[in-house]
Amino acid sequence: MTEQMLSPIVPTPLIPRSFTTTESNKTGSWRFLKPRYDEKTAPCSAACPAGEDIARVEMLVAQGLFKEAWETILQENPFPAVCGRVCFHPCEGVCNRKEFDDAIAIHTLERFVADTAMRYGIQPDIARRPVQGPRVAVVGSGPSGLAAAYFLARLGYTCDVFEAKSEPGGILRWGIPLYRLPVNVLEWEIGRIRSLGVEIHCNHRVSSDFLRDAGDRYQAVFIGCGHHRNVDLGIPGENLDGVEEGLPFLERVRAGERPDLSGAVAIIGGGNTAVDVSRCALRLGAKPVIVYRRRRQDMPAFEHEIEMALEEGVELMELWAPLEIAPHADGYRLVLQKMEVAAEEGPRAQVRPVPGETREMVVSKVLKAIGNAAEEAWMEPPEGDGKLLRLANTALVRRDDGPVLVYGGDLAALEKSVAHAVASGKEAAMALDTYFQDGWDAIESKVSACRVGQGPSLSMEMYLGGERCRRNPHVVAFQEINTDYFLFSPRLAQPRLLKEERIQGFSEIDLKISAALALREAERCFNCGICNQCDNCRLFCPDLAVCRDDNPQGRRINYDYCKGCGVCVVECPRNAMALEQD
Amino acid sequence: MKKVVEGSHAVSEAVRLARADVISAYPITPQTHIVELLSEYCSDGTLNAKFLRVESEHSAMAALIGAASAGVRTFTATSSQGLALMHELLHWAAGARLPIVMAEVNRALAPGWNIWTEQTDSLAQRDTGWIQLYCEDAQEALDTTLQAFRLAETVYLPVMVVLDAFFLSHTYEPVDIPEQEEADRFLPPFKPAFQLDTQNPSAFNQLAPPNVYMEMRRSLQDAMESALDVLDTIEDDYEKLFGRRYGAVEAVQCDDADIILVTSGTVTSTSRLVLRQLREKGEKVGLLKMKAFRPFPFEALRKHTAHAKKLAVIDRNFSFGAGGIFAQEIRSALCNLARRPLVFGYVAGLGGRDVTTDVIEDIYWRTKTSAHPEGESIWIGLHQPAPAA
Repeated sequence: MTEQMLSPIVPTPLIPRSFTTTESNKTGSWRFLKPRYDEKTAPCSAACPAGEDIARVEMLVAQGLFKEAWETILQENPFPAVCGRVCFHPCEGVCNRKEFDDAIAIHTLERFVADTAMRYGIQPDIARRPVQGPRVAVVGSGPSGLAAAYFLARLGYTCDVFEAKSEPGGILRWGIPLYRLPVNVLEWEIGRIRSLGVEIHCNHRVSSDFLRDAGDRYQAVFIGCGHHRNVDLGIPGENLDGVEEGLPFLERVRAGERPDLSGAVAIIGGGNTAVDVSRCALRLGAKPVIVYRRRRQDMPAFEHEIEMALEEGVELMELWAPLEIAPHADGYRLVLQKMEVAAEEGPRAQVRPVPGETREMVVSKVLKAIGNAAEEAWMEPPEGDGKLLRLANTALVRRDDGPVLVYGGDLAALEKSVAHAVASGKEAAMALDTYFQDGWDAIESKVSACRVGQGPSLSMEMYLGGERCRRNPHVVAFQEINTDYFLFSPRLAQPRLLKEERIQGFSEIDLKISAALALREAERCFNCGICNQCDNCRLFCPDLAVCRDDNPQGRRINYDYCKGCGVCVVECPRNAMALEQD
Repeated sequence: MKKVVEGSHAVSEAVRLARADVISAYPITPQTHIVELLSEYCSDGTLNAKFLRVESEHSAMAALIGAASAGVRTFTATSSQGLALMHELLHWAAGARLPIVMAEVNRALAPGWNIWTEQTDSLAQRDTGWIQLYCEDAQEALDTTLQAFRLAETVYLPVMVVLDAFFLSHTYEPVDIPEQEEADRFLPPFKPAFQLDTQNPSAFNQLAPPNVYMEMRRSLQDAMESALDVLDTIEDDYEKLFGRRYGAVEAVQCDDADIILVTSGTVTSTSRLVLRQLREKGEKVGLLKMKAFRPFPFEALRKHTAHAKKLAVIDRNFSFGAGGIFAQEIRSALCNLARRPLVFGYVAGLGGRDVTTDVIEDIYWRTKTSAHPEGESIWIGLHQPAPAA
């Protein structure tokens, strides 16, 4: 009530007024539902073989924290500059934003943060454990071997990498053409692994004897020497002079040779090697024709690589299988058998010959690229060994008389890809560390506790007990995103060399993007399941029960006053909260 | 200074002169021009006020309740469905004794959609505790709006300044717009008797149990009852400065009249012409303009109608199941008098239908020739229903 009289004829306004605090009314006692912060798993991160924390990476990029974004990738993958270029990005295939307009250009942003770090010569701040006793030998310096060495070195283990060739990198150096992966990018990434103290011994071919004697110096050996033996076609003439294997051809080109090609060149196969070979042949002056026994949709090569090859002028002959290669005055006579689809079961169609339908073509060169296998028997994980432990992307063997063997990379991974090789190296490092610390029997459970979502992707950050451990493994679905908070916005268009410019040489095709474009693209990200500090929960709380706090979440809920209305949970754009029975 | 302005803008000018601090509104025809001009004044710095854009009329009133509780001068404008949406907060603003001023441009309620004038929207809010003042022309709209701030800030009640859609809101008339210094002399800055104060925190308008609630209601009624006297005092000051006054009612030639036309809003202007024509023919007719509806001017009504035989009340509104709302209120104001005129209730001009001099003359002659009213209310000018197809 007010004390002041306004005018003799006007009565004093009488209104209810209280000078005691309303905080005495603990409205939280009315609650039967309880909101809480519950960060979940983004579909991209679960689909990433390397388990990168993509939703968080994009959040950091959008905030302009490029170094932190890069370090967040480096937690899980030593090769962001490489993977930003060559990965087949399964993350984008499951992006929730795809249901709204278009998937986020995740690989482009990965490359952007890595290239930015490279451009400014930035060193990452990533925690390392103190040096541990056990030493590990790594056979092969391809992506799996280097990843294993990288993660083991971070865990404190001394690693020696043995590489048969003159320079490290394996398939990254010798198998991927320069127009997809410039050599300076690879060397920068490998240099960072070396700076962790990893010794890489090149021109050092390892034999089965090495495994026998390794126990003197090493407590474990990681075998990641890949598949380098070419699979034969099994047809007459395949060993004629000048009929060449795909990988050695790529290696020659990568080493700087520029064989003079002209006229039609046949490439037999449908994998990434076949596509890379065809595109290199095109650049060397040939008219390449990929001959594949199945159809385009059955090709194991990445779809966007096939598309680029065809765009550049490579020809694709589907449903033709080679029967014979014979000498011809103009090169080779190639006899082909027409195939037809017999069954559609499985990932690739089953095909059978169409009786009587064959054709011949004359080509100047034949390149075989139908697949590769391990070069020697000891490189394969032994079958049926009682001490064999098979994980998703590795196989471990404990021996009574020598170091633990871990088979990784192409030798044991679910798929042959750089990302799977990284996953394999990481899994090996976790398994070996667990073995050294807690024994063989602890490996399976400790590794599976680091699964991103339902796995099989693994997180090193989780293995090290980081913030990511708090994430609910539930993978956020599109229906769980509050799309009221997002505007339609077109996906970043990757700037590229023109087709005419590309085929002139081996310059990188995908061009760099500006920071402005990167920011705009990262802002499109829903950040599924993770809190990006948008503050909606606090702003919408009708009871002022959401408060800022110094904890990692940045906020806390004051349950003395939270009535459990659930507004915060509904208004969270990205499902980083949960409402449950109190 | 005299300027030809739109009726809506006469209100806007008054709000500018009143130096309102916070304005919040949601656009609705036919009100929109009022706040449109004010938003321009806010953006170009002519008026140093915070203009809050909101998503509904309900929020507009809620925003002003907050602002007025903090002790600043507030204004909004609305019409029809927008006013109906504000309804629960109209009760709140009055009960909280907040001196909010609102321009209410009378518009018929839907369905069917009708943007034209009718008073049912504002009269339906008669029990909310708001003062309601009905204006006849643009000059009165300006003067009343300026006075409304002083009235509201004296009695601590919200004031609704009511004007007809289009006939007033969208019509251009010469209007004498006071200079700012003159307006300042009439309307000093608002010094609230109570306000939110972070140095002395308190909660307003929480629980009021049966042992205190009734006294609060009575306090509001006391304020209403004082408002007519306060308005009179304010009009004295206004007249001294600007030479114009209106009164809660205005009686024109009522003293010797047998029949008095009772009107409100723009129908009054048309009735003035009819009055002159009928007087020239020797008819003993008067005109009573009702400006104040809440508080209801009982005494003035009784005084000016004391000698008349019949009242012809023209209602541009209707209460379904009863009758024209002014007629009902006038009947109830007179019913206990020993000698009282017969009250004829006429309903005309709903949904913006024109009330012409012919309509008003028809009302006059019907009243004169009928010994008693034909019914509770007589609907004038209804078309014959179309034959069934």
